[in-house]
Amino acid sequence: MDKNVIPVGPYHPLLEEAEYFTLQVDGETVVDIDLEIGWMHRGHEFISESKTFTQSLYLVERICGICSTSHPLAAVHAMEDVDNIEIPLRARYIRTLVGELERIHSHLLWLGLAGHFIGYDTLWMWAWKYREPVLQMFEIISGNRNHYGMMRVGGVAKDVDPDKIKSLLDIMDEIEKKIQMIAKAANDDPVLKSRLKGVGVLTKKDAVDFCAVGPTARASGVSVDVRKDEPTDAYDLVDFKIIVTENGDVFDKTVVRLLETFESIKICKQCLEKLKTVNGGIRNNVKEISAGEGIGRYEAPRGEVFHYVRTDGTNRPVRHKVRAPSYVNIPTFKASCKGIPVADALITLAAVDPCYCCTERSIKIRDKNNEPYQLDLMKLSREKTEQIRRQMK
Amino acid sequence: MHNYSEFISLMGNKILSKNEKQKRLYFEVGNENIIEVADYLFTKLGCRLSTATATETYRGIEVLYHFSLDKSGEYYCPRIVMTDKKNPRMNSITPVVRGAEWIEREMSEMLGVTFEGHPRPEPLLTGNHPQNIKVPLRKWRSNG
Amino acid sequence: MSWYNKRLAKSIWVYHMSASPCNNCDIEILDLLTPKYDVERFGIKLVGSVRHADVILLSGVINQKVAPQVKKIYEQAAKPCFVVGVGTCPASGCCFKDSYNTVKKREDVIPIHLYIPGCPPKPEAMIEGVVKLAGVLNA
Ligand code: SF4
Repeated sequence: MDKNVIPVGPYHPLLEEAEYFTLQVDGETVVDIDLEIGWMHRGHEFISESKTFTQSLYLVERICGICSTSHPLAAVHAMEDVDNIEIPLRARYIRTLVGELERIHSHLLWLGLAGHFIGYDTLWMWAWKYREPVLQMFEIISGNRNHYGMMRVGGVAKDVDPDKIKSLLDIMDEIEKKIQMIAKAANDDPVLKSRLKGVGVLTKKDAVDFCAVGPTARASGVSVDVRKDEPTDAYDLVDFKIIVTENGDVFDKTVVRLLETFESIKICKQCLEKLKTVNGGIRNNVKEISAGEGIGRYEAPRGEVFHYVRTDGTNRPVRHKVRAPSYVNIPTFKASCKGIPVADALITLAAVDPCYCCTERSIKIRDKNNEPYQLDLMKLSREKTEQIRRQMK
Repeated sequence: MHNYSEFISLMGNKILSKNEKQKRLYFEVGNENIIEVADYLFTKLGCRLSTATATETYRGIEVLYHFSLDKSGEYYCPRIVMTDKKNPRMNSITPVVRGAEWIEREMSEMLGVTFEGHPRPEPLLTGNHPQNIKVPLRKWRSNG
Repeated sequence: MSWYNKRLAKSIWVYHMSASPCNNCDIEILDLLTPKYDVERFGIKLVGSVRHADVILLSGVINQKVAPQVKKIYEQAAKPCFVVGVGTCPASGCCFKDSYNTVKKREDVIPIHLYIPGCPPKPEAMIEGVVKLAGVLNA
């Protein structure tokens, strides 16, 4: 049996991030997949060692633009874990609020791009349109649309203005209605269903073996969620559910993310209500962090963010280890991509929400006579959608 | 405190030293026991490997694995210290925990640790790198 | 060239190239396409291949591994092709300039004609930047 190799990347025209996949295909079927990374490597762990604790929060915020709350939050958890620093109640609610807003915006972003990948651009435009109010809320709370700079060791940097809470709640109601509409439309859409159901299945065993986290694991029936496993901030004070489904295919991952968005909206509303009544400071003054080591984590939209800080009593960390969720989720491609058609590979790769690396690209493969011909993964994917649509008529 | 005592008594003298904190247990094991400990934590106890951290200290190169017990939010962190800084070697746990593959590859390129028995000991982030970066997290400190 | 530039300014097609950014600038660039900002009303369109592009939107500090690819892509572009550095990253290196893996002089890899500072710049700022470029081309 001949095997052909399809290189995907490293430069990729439409979306973010350079990454390099090699798909080994046999005809239309993917046999094996490999991935070369390092195109985005900027040496955060190295730079962080030369920064003070507060400066390093600025740095970890810039690891990823989508998780720009999760990384600082996990980092402050790690730094607080060294000395068991307590934080004020109001700050706990604000942290939770910002973290959950980020989850809403990230899940909507993913939904939109997933729609884009399977050639359903309407979904893309919709999801991103209704993501805008979330960014607007961020602007009201922190002053910036992305990169909020809210976290500090011992609390948060900015308070939520009590006068604005009502308007924030109004925006929240509006978003909820719109997302309900999108969810209903996505759920009813036969094309979406037939395009995503049963595609790229990650079994429960594989998810455990690869130590997958976040929605990727939860869609495969593994119930891991840092928010419930080790509740920090206000997560033990608010009421929410963890969404777990069993099938592990792309459709389930979509469902998990959509339902999680509603849970997040629920949490945000509770936090905003609480912020009306809970008063007090927003930050404990932390003078120094003693020598020791601390582990901090937070459930980012994509899974568990892990930070480990080792200190020696000075104002800089000796070692600052960062592990982003995609780092453990991306290797699951090896399990979920095997045996699926090339046209489905794109959405399977994207389903992990790998910070959207380059999954679509003009590619060159050789046919039986060793003649190269060009193929566009995106086009292939769209053609398949068209085909299904025709069949259904 | 949490019930690490059962685990500690089971491991007996495999644990060379330990540091217990609320919900965190850091303990040192010898290189010859790491696979057994990792197997116990992953298979029997049902832990998930969060990640592993390699650090250069005065004693040598340290590798600290972070196993998370999701049921209770506890962390078990076995630590291996390699005093030979020139040529640190240790056993790989990838044959037992599949998810450790990338993590160990990264540690080996960042700090130059050789993992014996690793199925794919090639660099992960700096593979095909034009400048051929070698052990960046150690380079600047070798004289300090 | 000015005759050509005038034609170019009417409808600028942009190609988005990410060279180790933190992703946020990229999202904001994509945000430009979606209903709230909708840059297509200015004739600005995102294209999939650099061969079609009049302007390259570059985001991120260029790291050493990606630098040869960035160079190659710029060489493939049909000239004249203008490069807009989006964000603080291409302008100053942001917080990554001390790293072992970033190129020390970004201008050696790719000439950057216009910088839009901000981390990330607001979509309004990006639109203004590209429109300013159009103004220069029209002059
Ligand atoms: S300028 Fe700021 S937001 Fe943009 S890529 Fe750089 S760090 Fe990220």
